[in-house]
Amino acid sequence: MRKRLAFIAALAITAGPAAAHHGWGSYDAANPLTVAGPILISKFENPHVTISVRGSDKVWTVTLAPTSRMTNRGAVQAVVAVGNTVSAYGYPSNVQPDEMRAERITVDNKTYEMR
Amino acid sequence: MEHDAPAIFAALEHSAFAAAIRQSSWLYPLANVGHILALVAFASAVAVMDLRILGAFAGTVPAHVLRQARRAAILAFCGLAATGFMLFSAEASHIVVNPVFRLKAALVAAGLLNALAFEVVVRRAVAPLPAGAPMPRAARMSAALSLAIWIAVAACGRSIAYF
Repeated sequence: MRKRLAFIAALAITAGPAAAHHGWGSYDAANPLTVAGPILISKFENPHVTISVRGSDKVWTVTLAPTSRMTNRGAVQAVVAVGNTVSAYGYPSNVQPDEMRAERITVDNKTYEMR
Repeated sequence: MEHDAPAIFAALEHSAFAAAIRQSSWLYPLANVGHILALVAFASAVAVMDLRILGAFAGTVPAHVLRQARRAAILAFCGLAATGFMLFSAEASHIVVNPVFRLKAALVAAGLLNALAFEVVVRRAVAPLPAGAPMPRAARMSAALSLAIWIAVAACGRSIAYF
């Protein structure tokens, strides 16, 4: 019985889908979408900046670039601050239904490339 | 998927240490580059030991080569562990449920066990051998296994980001 419980526990842990935030492989490039709306949460952190955006359908977690690249391209912390309106063009995650990775974002009519 | 990870990993990710790594503009890249450099040093040292046992540089005294390379391998492994812990902490609750990371962790354990088995079981047989002497079969098997495991570990490490 104990052995069986341990097995079930191990299975439960292993079954948790992965959520790595790096490569583009786990995003569906065949179905690009644009999420536009106000920024609800902004985490200007490594390895990737992430923002939560209230889109027309739901709240999306949008994965952006590493902090140094964001800064180099002018997409500094203030550009993706909470309350700003953003339009993010990118690809939905194959793993997490509410996550997408942005190819580029537009804030105040200025577009920043994330790749 | 944070809720799927055991609480201790969520706690690690939410620690001040992990937050500092994420919020710094240079700590994460530093750990990233450091991890690769430590890997290069570790792989080199391990390759020297394993290749010597498999018959390369046969003109050298094996115990001498192993002693020198072992020191470098241990030092490099400490560097790998330290930088790896930094990279892991920043996203602990995500990475711990990553299937490739789990495979990598199992392979690291296997690699360390193999190294331990070598040190405990085979080292004494190799120690008195002069240059040019044929290596015991157990030593050669351990060395071949070591090379295979550590190459697989490196491949897994690079693949974590894509799964």
